[in-house]
Amino acid sequence: MTSHSAEGHPAHLEHHFVSSEQQFDAAKMGMWLFLVTEILLFSGMFVTYTVFRSWHPEVFAHSAELLDWRMGGINTIVLLASSFTVALAVHFAQKDNMRLVIINLMVTLVFAFLFLVIKYFEYTGKFAHGVFPGAAFDPHGVAGGHNYADYNIPYAAQFFSIYFVMTGIHAFHVIVGIGVIAWITLRVSRGEFSSAYYTPVELTGLYWHLVDIIWIFLFPLLYLI
Amino acid sequence: MAQDETINYLNHDRSLKSWLLTKDHKRIGLMYLGAVSLAFLAGGILALLIRLELLTPGETIMGPDAYNQSFTIHAVLMVFVVLIPAIPAALGNFFLPLQLGARDVAFPRLNLFSFYLYLTGAVIVLSALIVGRIDGGWTFYAPYSERVGDSILFVTTGVFVMGFSSILTGLNFIVTVHKMRTPGLTWNRLPLFVWSIYSTAIVQVLATPVIGITMVLLFLERFLSIGIFDPALGGDPVLFQHFFWFYSHPAVYIMILPAFGIISELIGTFSRHRVSGYTFVALSSVAIAFLGFLVWGHHMFVSGQSAVSSVVFSLLTYLIGIPTGVKVLNWVTTMYRGSISFKTPMIYALIFLFTFSIGGFSGVMVGVLGIDIHLHDTYFIVAHFHYVMMGGTVIAMLGGIHYWWPKMTGRMYNETLGKIAAILVFIGFNLTFFPQFIMGSRGMPRRYYDYLPEFQFMHELSTYGSWILGAALFMILGYMMASLINGKKAPSNPWGALTLEWTHAAALPHPHNFLATPIVVRGPYDYHLAREMFELVPSGDGQHGEVIPGVEASEPDGRPEEA
Amino acid sequence: MSHAEHHIVPIKTLTAVILTLGMLTILTVAASQMDLGSFNVPVAMCIAGIKASLVIAIFMGLRYDNGTNALILAIGLVLAFVFLVFVLLDTNFRGDTSATQSGTIMETEQLAPAQTR
Ligand SMILES: [Cu+2]
Repeated sequence: MTSHSAEGHPAHLEHHFVSSEQQFDAAKMGMWLFLVTEILLFSGMFVTYTVFRSWHPEVFAHSAELLDWRMGGINTIVLLASSFTVALAVHFAQKDNMRLVIINLMVTLVFAFLFLVIKYFEYTGKFAHGVFPGAAFDPHGVAGGHNYADYNIPYAAQFFSIYFVMTGIHAFHVIVGIGVIAWITLRVSRGEFSSAYYTPVELTGLYWHLVDIIWIFLFPLLYLI
Repeated sequence: MAQDETINYLNHDRSLKSWLLTKDHKRIGLMYLGAVSLAFLAGGILALLIRLELLTPGETIMGPDAYNQSFTIHAVLMVFVVLIPAIPAALGNFFLPLQLGARDVAFPRLNLFSFYLYLTGAVIVLSALIVGRIDGGWTFYAPYSERVGDSILFVTTGVFVMGFSSILTGLNFIVTVHKMRTPGLTWNRLPLFVWSIYSTAIVQVLATPVIGITMVLLFLERFLSIGIFDPALGGDPVLFQHFFWFYSHPAVYIMILPAFGIISELIGTFSRHRVSGYTFVALSSVAIAFLGFLVWGHHMFVSGQSAVSSVVFSLLTYLIGIPTGVKVLNWVTTMYRGSISFKTPMIYALIFLFTFSIGGFSGVMVGVLGIDIHLHDTYFIVAHFHYVMMGGTVIAMLGGIHYWWPKMTGRMYNETLGKIAAILVFIGFNLTFFPQFIMGSRGMPRRYYDYLPEFQFMHELSTYGSWILGAALFMILGYMMASLINGKKAPSNPWGALTLEWTHAAALPHPHNFLATPIVVRGPYDYHLAREMFELVPSGDGQHGEVIPGVEASEPDGRPEEA
Repeated sequence: MSHAEHHIVPIKTLTAVILTLGMLTILTVAASQMDLGSFNVPVAMCIAGIKASLVIAIFMGLRYDNGTNALILAIGLVLAFVFLVFVLLDTNFRGDTSATQSGTIMETEQLAPAQTR
């Protein structure tokens, strides 16, 4: 049995765990389970996408032309880079270099904001031409070499509904991620973590990578094919 | 063991705040039990009113509109607020950590959070009643649910929120089983209740997110007309049914798997015999959990889904019968070899074997494509799922509550009244629902307000049965409450069971469960190793199980106490 | 308590992964600009799969983690796949119930020998 004296008991260790190792493993396993629930949540949208695409492949291929692959591509790179910086933050937390943890988390935040800004311009660009989700779908005007009225075909509304719902829920996850990363950064700067205890940093990283992975699939599905 | 008798999880702090902010899994379990019981009471009263209305053709006590609302609210309450959290969140919360020899679940704060999520969800669902009428049943099929009044939004939102509560509970339990087992408690020594709660948790974690996204899409369709489900907008209503049943069929296993666990405990304990085929009983829970994801389309045989998927779903549905049969056969074998004592919990286990088997077999029947075409949406289906949900889950829950009542409250209930009530439940239940099998097979459609005169006799029988059942349930409520006031003080192990909550915890457990970390050196039902137990048990009072062969306590562990 | 056992992924590995990910992104865009016919979708999905696996294995450290977490992820992915396949089994074969012959079974059985002749 592991036994600590009351004095040798680390502050972060909760009373119902025997060791820090047990507490860390439990937290990480809980996080992976949570990520699986996220995957199944998104799977509902991927199923919807696949069903409607398999019913109306030409409509989906045609409608995807309206989405700018340059914007989507840049956003892909931005999110991948943010994943990299979060991985670096965990790396430096393990090496007890808390200054570099903070810097990497802040850079991650910048990337996350950049992603949302680009998304904002994409959305407003679509709204300006009447490309809304659902009943308000009424494409008009000319921009970027596309005559939007050509895209007013049956089931194009479904494509754009699915586009807005999928990217919207993804963006919601990005916003939540920004909140969590900001909070963790604050806690790091307060000196709450060390190489002996950095579980929240690691868990936040896992969450952020999942947000990245979802986008890795959304990008080709919506913009490219 | 030298347990400190004066301090227990109930009396160490009696303030209201200590209950509302507790992180103790035992208190959270009790709060769930209270909330679930209240919802069961409300849903039960609605059921009695529905049966009363159906006593005669035409209007008896309420109009068609009130009737539609009554069965909808009855179903929503019973499914989402009662059955899904009932056993895992109430009894599971209380006994999972105890049976694991752990001090608490892995994430106590998350546990409390999920309780409040559950309460919030339940309140949102109930507020639908104030906002307006909800009818159309508990399945929210699109497009009706998108066009009917606003109160349906409260129900779907409530279900969404309670879904998150269910996910977090499941997540917590999986991690607890993996990471919090006491030394020596290997996977093949886990009590079967733990195995069943573990399998349930897998289903909760994997299935519930899909109902979440379904509710989100329903919401968006209503407000933005995104055209996924509504045929008028180019959507597909059958797709909604796929989404709904991808969750709601596995949800049936969230309800019934924990019941299997309780029955295994009861039959092991009261047969004084090792549960035969332990490994098979344990792994069949896991098998059911996964197979349960492959059969949802059997709810959609007449929905217009493709014939090929109907055939596949029908064939896979039969497979569920295999692991379920493995369980039932092993329970019967255990009793055959054991020496049975007919205490109240055991009587519920026997009732379960009878009623659940009928529910299970009728389930295989309606899984047959050709037969389902005729029985779909008739009272046969109503009878089938009540035999599973009530004859299975509720009966097992009653058995479990009686079994663990001494550990939860420190009091014994009146055994004679307990037996009488159990027999009345059995009679009332079968009288209520067996006639519904007959009506259904003769073509009485479910959910109808009115019916042809030839069905009246069966409806009358069913309504009389509901009165007996209702009376028996109120009787249970009565003597259980009475036991809190003047019940005999319970010993720490009144049934001579061998799982840790009985052998190593005080009559009323300590706030941190165990004073010393239990070390397990044998299986949960190894009665053949503990002959001495049999001599100790019959007298039924006093402290038993001080020394149990094969189970030793370590020296008091040095883990720091909270201030 | 020390976390000596926790695997620290070297910066070199992390850098190699992010560069590969960037390259694969360019590759998938390039592939989509070409007309690969029916291969467009599988190619895009394959590249996305490789990218996701890299993130999971290295950035999320699953490769160095204990097997249970990998099992959890695998089960989740299998379930999502089951969801997709079983729904498609309906939606892609919708309407096959109406692809039946008219007449009773007895009538069709009487017809059958006449047709083979
Ligand atoms: Cu089902």
